[in-house]
Amino acid sequence: MEEDLPIILSAKGLGKRLSLGDNTLTILSGIDLEIKAGESLALVGASGSGKTTLLGLLAGLDTPSEGEVTFEGQPFSGESEDTRARRRAESIAFVFQNFQLLGALTALENVMIPLELAGRGDAKGLAQSYLERVGLADRAGHTPRQLSGGEQQRVALARAFAAQPRLLFADEPTGNLDQATGRRIADLLFTLNAEAGTTLVLVTHDLGLAARCDRALTLEGGRLRVTEADAS
Amino acid sequence: MTEGLPRQMLRRQWRGVELRLLAAALLLAITTVTGISLFVDRLERALVLEASAFLAADRRLEGREAPPAAWEADAQAQGLATARTLSFSSMAFSDLEALLVSVQAVSPTYPLRGILKTAKDPYAPGTPETQTPAPGTVWVEPRVLLTLGLELGATLDLGAASFRIDRVLTATPDQGGAFLLAPRVLMALEDVPATQVVRPGARVSHALLLAGPEPALERFREALPEDLEARFDFEDVRSGNRSLGRALERAERFLRLGGLMAVILACLAVGLAATRFAHQQADTVAVLKTLGSPSGRIRRLYLGQLFQLAGLVTLVALALAYAVQAGLFQLLSAYVPVTLPPPGWAPLVLGAGTGWVCLLAFALPPILRLEAVSPVRVLRRDLAGLGPQGPVLRFAGVGTLLALLFWYAGSFELAGWVLLGLGGTGTLFAVLALALLRSGRVLGMQAGKAWRLGLAALSRRQGASVVQMLVFGAALMLLLTLTALRGSLLDSWRAQLPEGSPNYFVLNLDSADRTAFSDALEDLAVAPQPAFPMTRGRITAVNGNALDPRAGRAAARLTEERNLSWSGALPEGNEVVAGRWWDETAPAPGLSLEADFAESVGLALGDELVLEVGDQRFEVPLVALRRVAWDSLRPNFFIVLSPGLLAERDATYLTSFFLDAAQASRLPELLRAFPSVSIIAIDGLLNQLQQIIARVSLAVEVVLVLVLLAGALVLLASIQSSMDERLAEYGLLRALGGTRRRLLGALTIEFATLGVFAGLLAALGASVIIWALETQLFGLPQQSHGALWLWGPALGLATILSLGLGATRKVVQVAPLRVLREHGA
Ligand SMILES: Nc1ncnc2c1ncn2[C@@H]1O[C@H](COP(=O)(O)OP(=O)(O)OP(=O)(O)O)[C@@H](O)[C@H]1O
Ligand SMILES: [Mg+2]
Repeated sequence: MEEDLPIILSAKGLGKRLSLGDNTLTILSGIDLEIKAGESLALVGASGSGKTTLLGLLAGLDTPSEGEVTFEGQPFSGESEDTRARRRAESIAFVFQNFQLLGALTALENVMIPLELAGRGDAKGLAQSYLERVGLADRAGHTPRQLSGGEQQRVALARAFAAQPRLLFADEPTGNLDQATGRRIADLLFTLNAEAGTTLVLVTHDLGLAARCDRALTLEGGRLRVTEADAS
Repeated sequence: MTEGLPRQMLRRQWRGVELRLLAAALLLAITTVTGISLFVDRLERALVLEASAFLAADRRLEGREAPPAAWEADAQAQGLATARTLSFSSMAFSDLEALLVSVQAVSPTYPLRGILKTAKDPYAPGTPETQTPAPGTVWVEPRVLLTLGLELGATLDLGAASFRIDRVLTATPDQGGAFLLAPRVLMALEDVPATQVVRPGARVSHALLLAGPEPALERFREALPEDLEARFDFEDVRSGNRSLGRALERAERFLRLGGLMAVILACLAVGLAATRFAHQQADTVAVLKTLGSPSGRIRRLYLGQLFQLAGLVTLVALALAYAVQAGLFQLLSAYVPVTLPPPGWAPLVLGAGTGWVCLLAFALPPILRLEAVSPVRVLRRDLAGLGPQGPVLRFAGVGTLLALLFWYAGSFELAGWVLLGLGGTGTLFAVLALALLRSGRVLGMQAGKAWRLGLAALSRRQGASVVQMLVFGAALMLLLTLTALRGSLLDSWRAQLPEGSPNYFVLNLDSADRTAFSDALEDLAVAPQPAFPMTRGRITAVNGNALDPRAGRAAARLTEERNLSWSGALPEGNEVVAGRWWDETAPAPGLSLEADFAESVGLALGDELVLEVGDQRFEVPLVALRRVAWDSLRPNFFIVLSPGLLAERDATYLTSFFLDAAQASRLPELLRAFPSVSIIAIDGLLNQLQQIIARVSLAVEVVLVLVLLAGALVLLASIQSSMDERLAEYGLLRALGGTRRRLLGALTIEFATLGVFAGLLAALGASVIIWALETQLFGLPQQSHGALWLWGPALGLATILSLGLGATRKVVQVAPLRVLREHGA
């Protein structure tokens, strides 16, 4: 069934090297992958294996040293930063380990930012309804400082889904939370994702979390090990 | 992003320290600059107005002949106010006695600037007078009444006419140049022909007085004929009175210097706060970019915030500056009898303009670097901070500072010296600050716990500490520089007019009467000053060529009959600038001229001059040129001869003495005992000079207070910059069991050390700058400023400790939990 779905994101020969003085440090090399629309993919691997770096390249936050990323059939990694930003605004969302909410804005305003960037009409109403869906309607006027970690991550989830992205990147979304809270956040993430049919790229070392994805890829020393297609 | 977002963020971020700091710095910048400019502008206008009073006008056209009536009509057509005066010396007679007086005949509009004061009694203080003497009447100085034994209402004869003495003249505005002449008599210009005193060839001085707006005065000046200089002097406030001109120039330089320091401090504060704000915003920008915001939007967002804030701050600052300035003048009004002109709009524009230039040059560069922050920062915080500083932006600050420096200093020289001082000491400071910090740390290792904690805090934030020491040090340095310079400038000025400077001049003292006169002074318990022989003479030929007074202005000046003196020793307050003074013990015949005079009449060392004194003629070489301290109110002579050329009996003597006001009533005694002697009071002139000095120092003090305020706020801004970090640190320390007492002790030690170090740096920097300014710019004798080394550290300690503790008190007061929650990682 998934075979029929279009490919939303693909990477070919992707590599990232850093030159540190005389030495070159190879963080990633020879990454080939294809992600189909609507699927959920887990990226797993030991700490330092390059997961976050890969996510950054796939999302166009950073540029690769070699290879390229194609997003929705169009070249992505080679575009200018502003073009990438615009395409992110249209179709990509994020959830981060450390939440990355803007401290100067309220929960509601944080959720509104991507809506406004994408030029949506009723940003406020939409943002409010998404806050309701993550159970924080009554905290809309609070700033991140006044919220607990779990609450902040729920605001981040609302922000991510409110923009109705086609692709969602999540980097250790439960990494900073206790187990119980982490589980609730993960549940919320997968529920919202299922409802919206969003393509999900989830970076984690939590194998349990990875197992909830359609498939998982393992990074080892900057290379993809074996493609474990179609994890149960 | 909707347009609402900048305002939303602004409103929220206003709760954070960074934006408040930026706003406070900008507010400070604009308020200080505008306040100082408004104040300086008003004070300058008041000073010029008052100085104009010395001329009794804004400009004065003076010559041996009457300026043509067409010129006066011209001036009036330009919208200028005019008045005429005619001055000459004449004998005045009562029934029994005669006295040489200096007559000034004036038109009814005199004086155009300043005020006349008169009284009804020779000993009464004067009250302002709005009129001039009516035809047929004269107003006279008290000494005329005392010497001639007359009362008000009596008759005084001048030449062929008789006048009724109507008032006692206690003050005239333009008495500045006349202090060596006989007592004054003021009369109506229309009465002059009746006296028949002024005949062709008589030594008289005509003046056309002008007052009005500067452009009109300039236009009038330009319309005058080219060869004006040959026949007339065109005087303005500065040329009209040398000592006053110099005092004004110094005051203006000083006030400008004060303004300049405030601008530098303000720019520092704005740059500091903006850089901190930008660093603080890097994370926000990374998130916004991750969420899809292109850099153009980021730029608009932050420029929007910046300009909204700056617009608001500008309005508040202008209002504040206006209020501050008004308050200052309210305070001053008791001391400033001159009606102050209202402040103009120019300072407001200048202040706001300077503020915005400062904002664009110092706040904009760090803010513009924000748009280059890479979104990767959301993944790895250590990566990708602010974008690189573009070369254009990097020089924006420096270029602007240079431009402002020049603009405020008004001269390349002043700007250059200040820049050199700042740049040089800045570099040196950074190195020394680092060395001091290191040494502090080494000492701290051996000291108690609070010491270790405090000094560790300093060196942990080494970069910030160096920057803070630089800023504190710079602020203090400017303060010390200004204070010490103000002191030495005023001291050197006052030193020329010490307490007890002679306030009476004695003329016409016969050589035979000299001892008796000294004895009489001693009876009055008055110390006589040195006496100078004085006679009148003319230079008639140079190097064998006879001079024709009609050959031109220089020849006319040269051949004019002048007072001359002789002396074995170089007179006090004189300095030989070219040639050699004669041997005191065995003087060869020679002549010495005042250097500027010699230059203006084209005489050079070695010229052989023929001098005509009475019926004697002799030839002497010009052997020495002197510089004369005109500011001192000592008798000074353009021409001084070596002794032996003239006999004692050829001269009368000139001397001076100081008599305090309480003893002034005994003057008539002295006058009766020596009827041939003229005694001239110069109190009026002295008072006027001293008032100006007092006002100038007041202005300087006010500027100092404003600069001090600016420095204190820069200080506060830079302490505030470290607050988040401190809150987190001290919260942790308190959570770990540090007592409030110990933490307070550590804070005290930290700020006290910082203060003392900054003070030491400031003293060093100030010493260098002061040396440079004093010796190179103001031309003052070098003075020692050892007290700087005490005041610097003491002031640094007091200011930084109190401000530092005041600002960081919160650190030990807030509950540790809250601190950790709000400011932890
Ligand atoms: N800018 C950089 N400078 C130096 N080293 C870097 C840089 N970026 C990444 N690395 C290194 O590359 C490797 C991969 O880093 P990355 O953050 O992608 O790992 P990760 O798999 O996400 O690890 P973790 O599970 O701990 O988050 C690490 O060894 C990291 O130190
Ligand atoms: Mg990672």
